[in-house]
Amino acid sequence: MQINLKIFRYLPDSGNKPHYDKYVMEVNPTDRVLDVLEQVRADNDPSLAYRRSCAHGVCGSDAMQINGHNALACKVLVKDLDSTDITIEPLRGLNVLRDLIVDMEPFFDHFRSVQPYFINDSELPADGKERLQSPTERERFDDTTKCILCAACTSSCPSFWADGKYVGPAAIVNAHRFIYDSRDTAATERLEIMNEATGVWRCRTIFNCTEACPRDIKITKAIAEVKKAIITGKLEN
Amino acid sequence: MSSFKTTMIGYVGYRGREGQISFLLHRITGLGTALFLTIHILDTSLVYFFPQLYSHAIDVYRTTAFGIGEIALVFSVLFHGVNGLRVAYVDLIAPKLWTIPKSRSSVRWTLAVTLILWLPAAGIMLYNILRHNYGLFGG
Ligand code: FES
Repeated sequence: MQINLKIFRYLPDSGNKPHYDKYVMEVNPTDRVLDVLEQVRADNDPSLAYRRSCAHGVCGSDAMQINGHNALACKVLVKDLDSTDITIEPLRGLNVLRDLIVDMEPFFDHFRSVQPYFINDSELPADGKERLQSPTERERFDDTTKCILCAACTSSCPSFWADGKYVGPAAIVNAHRFIYDSRDTAATERLEIMNEATGVWRCRTIFNCTEACPRDIKITKAIAEVKKAIITGKLEN
Repeated sequence: MSSFKTTMIGYVGYRGREGQISFLLHRITGLGTALFLTIHILDTSLVYFFPQLYSHAIDVYRTTAFGIGEIALVFSVLFHGVNGLRVAYVDLIAPKLWTIPKSRSSVRWTLAVTLILWLPAAGIMLYNILRHNYGLFGG
């Protein structure tokens, strides 16, 4: 099938303004958007820059805005876009370093700010081995363990566009993952971080994040659970 | 790009679903309501400071353009109120609505309830404009 492709191009300090390159291309309906980008780079313009690594929806490198919606280029088939006009742009709300590559550092800073690691300084169990957890306790935070830090959610959030100081959905998802882990002991500390002006209260329950997540994490639900835990001071809900 | 520009382009260009549409409508209707309140406080204060100007202000309110603006204003107040209740209810009371399908349908319900409340009011207001400003319906 024939597609009309439009790709955002920008090389800071080159003197050129941000613009779109247009291509009319022959592709297979079952090609992924990532394949289309590879084809452009092979056949038309080797200078086109984007991130990719696994090409199978695991590493989270190739999140971008495809026809106005955030997704992983390696998980979207051309035929599923329901249009032969395809526009590819970098993630919104993060500075463009080059073409489709954005500066992920602010995003990772927010991730780090929620202490996304296991905290428990108490004595190990008597046998000196692992701290046990029941399947139900594990199930409680299963959904939020799936995050691959692609930033599709955070950069789809109008609250994040308006103020980059908001920690954003991805950081909250990762806070949730540890807040609800029965083996972790720093929930109170993390809830305090979440309760700050840059925390969960910036969320307007818009659901753009949940709609964008390539791992189908119920992000708005996780955020709402954290909000509720802050209000009630209790973790079970 | 400034965050203002990023946000504005995102509002228009990002293809969010019902949630984004209701968020945008909430902002617009909120601004509309705030603007009305400001004007209303100012014009009411005219009664005290400049009584002649006050009656002039009331005449301006009776014009068709203002009448249509007021019909839009009623929509703004109703949508902003109903949607505000929806968001508070979803956020604080109803965990079962924390899913995409439920959120989408809650937005559609909000719009339906707003229209049901608004249409009769809009009808009456339109009737009054036509009657008083255009002499229809024996006015
Ligand atoms: S390239 Fe790894 S997620 Fe798409």
